[in-house]
Amino acid sequence: MTAETVQNLEALAAQSQTVMSVFIKAGYDAVAPAIIQPADVFLDVIGESLRARTYVFTDQDGAELCLRPDITVPTCRLHLERHADPTTIARYCYNGPAFRFQPQGATAAHPREFRQAGIERFGDEAREAAEAETVAIIIKAIEKIGFRDWTLKLGDIGLFSSVLDATGISPNWKTRLDDAFLRPLSFREALKGFAVGVRPPSANFPEELLSSLRRDDMDASEAAVAVYLEEQAIELIGTRSLTDITEHLIVIAEERNEAPLDARAAELIERYVGVSGPALTAGEKISTLIKEAPSGSGYALETYDRRLALLANAGIDLGRVSFSAEFGRTLAYYSGLVFEVNAASLGPKSPIAGGGRYDGLMRAAGSGADIPAVGAAIHSERLLAAMGGKAP
Amino acid sequence: MSKLTLAIPSKGRLMEQTTDMFARAGLVVRKVGHVRGYRGEIEGLPGVDVAYVSSSEIAAALKSGSVHLGITGEDLICENISDAGTRIRFLQKLGFGFADVVVAVPTCWIDVSTVAELEEIAIPFRRKHGRWPRVATKYINITRRFFGAKGFGDYRIIESAGATEGAPSSGMAELIVDITTTGETLRANGLKILDDGVILKSQANLFATNAAAWTPELEALCSELTGKLASSVRQTVISRI
Repeated sequence: MTAETVQNLEALAAQSQTVMSVFIKAGYDAVAPAIIQPADVFLDVIGESLRARTYVFTDQDGAELCLRPDITVPTCRLHLERHADPTTIARYCYNGPAFRFQPQGATAAHPREFRQAGIERFGDEAREAAEAETVAIIIKAIEKIGFRDWTLKLGDIGLFSSVLDATGISPNWKTRLDDAFLRPLSFREALKGFAVGVRPPSANFPEELLSSLRRDDMDASEAAVAVYLEEQAIELIGTRSLTDITEHLIVIAEERNEAPLDARAAELIERYVGVSGPALTAGEKISTLIKEAPSGSGYALETYDRRLALLANAGIDLGRVSFSAEFGRTLAYYSGLVFEVNAASLGPKSPIAGGGRYDGLMRAAGSGADIPAVGAAIHSERLLAAMGGKAP
Repeated sequence: MSKLTLAIPSKGRLMEQTTDMFARAGLVVRKVGHVRGYRGEIEGLPGVDVAYVSSSEIAAALKSGSVHLGITGEDLICENISDAGTRIRFLQKLGFGFADVVVAVPTCWIDVSTVAELEEIAIPFRRKHGRWPRVATKYINITRRFFGAKGFGDYRIIESAGATEGAPSSGMAELIVDITTTGETLRANGLKILDDGVILKSQANLFATNAAAWTPELEALCSELTGKLASSVRQTVISRI
């Protein structure tokens, strides 16, 4: 639903003004990043899957540009332009249009042109507090509009890592499963396969070279790979360095000697991935399975409990909060907390707001290193629809 | 009666091979009017109108239905017509214009020989370089479908109009999807084909399009032409054995 009528446009404008006033009052600087953005950053960060959802075009000079599919990446770029030191602590808020191609055809709930009003917070090392505050401000803005019947859904990509730590599996297994977690399509299948070993022997690798590589002596290992390439008259070309290739070969060598994934660990992982429901109950489920875990580390659980406590302190009614271990796995750039706010009238597939932590995004935008970053945006048309089309 | 329009390549090796193949089938294709013109006819098949079209545009002509039949590479049909399965009929493989569409990576990637291993390096690559590995190709749709079917999405396509094999060594991309016949050009550029990286074994085909206006007469003429070409292709295959 774009602003097809003047009334609609005015209602959206009035709503956004109220939302922005909440953000500004909370200490966020109002900014207006460019609508036309270089396509590079988006495609590099989010991968080829996003191209299918983004209006990408080439201008008369041959530059590849896009209509921004969200306002988070443009705000990261704006931050980097403003601050020579990207670690500078900053808080921004914005309100404006974003554009997405809808493969199934544009609908009221999934328009190709929509408005987002949101906040971004960069450089704040007090991560957990910043996250709770972000959620609380978004809820506050939504309530200020007059919408009170919201529910909040949480996920946490980082929590999976902590659960893996608790199972006491080897570092190689951990990396493997961490990476696989982001690909839910193949994850379950992979987990089954891992029970017989991560990498069955194959004829593809130079055996002698593989057996000579050692993680604790990278210099010698790299030298061995260089000698091998020279003997085979293979030229080193491209952007992957000798170190990149050697590191992967070492992983391959180690994985081939790795014992199969412990059945008990696999079972715990399956159970964790299946955790979903009211946040407090989900916490109990996680607590139970962590206690059964071989190394029994409570780190994951402490993180979870602390998050709920911080949200409760920020005034969020935990009775309206749910948690799903799988939530966020397919959302490209999130690295920790991920959340969305839903309205019963719009259904679970059309959240009225969403956000989370994405510490790796700034690096892709050009900062050179990860920067703490957390933010969220309200989907303006959906919020208005949830309000029955009336501004406050 | 309206004529059956057949688009054939307007220049280069593909045009020569097409003309030769018609000759073997006892069909003489020749230009009508000026020698530099783009219309032609087939001796003995007066109902067929020949249009000389650049081979990359034959797919577009078939897609829109501005011709009934076309001779071009399967690769170009798969790339340019997303609904080729319903829109296009594959009438006859013609036994020339062989080209494989393949995924090729630097030979020095001794740690990568399958798509699964390519997927493994994507995340470490991004951790280190801040972006996904780039795939240089002119086959954007074929690439996306192939990787998509394998559940691999952690890459970025760089459109390449030509000299794609040079992209990895010049640092424009990490790997490529391109056509190859003998693999010689790939080897010369320090590239190897992934074990499961042959996406499509393409050759020139006679295609018909459902987007054009067909009558029973045109269908009959099309069958006659296809039959003659088919027997010519069979003979060539036998003589090669």
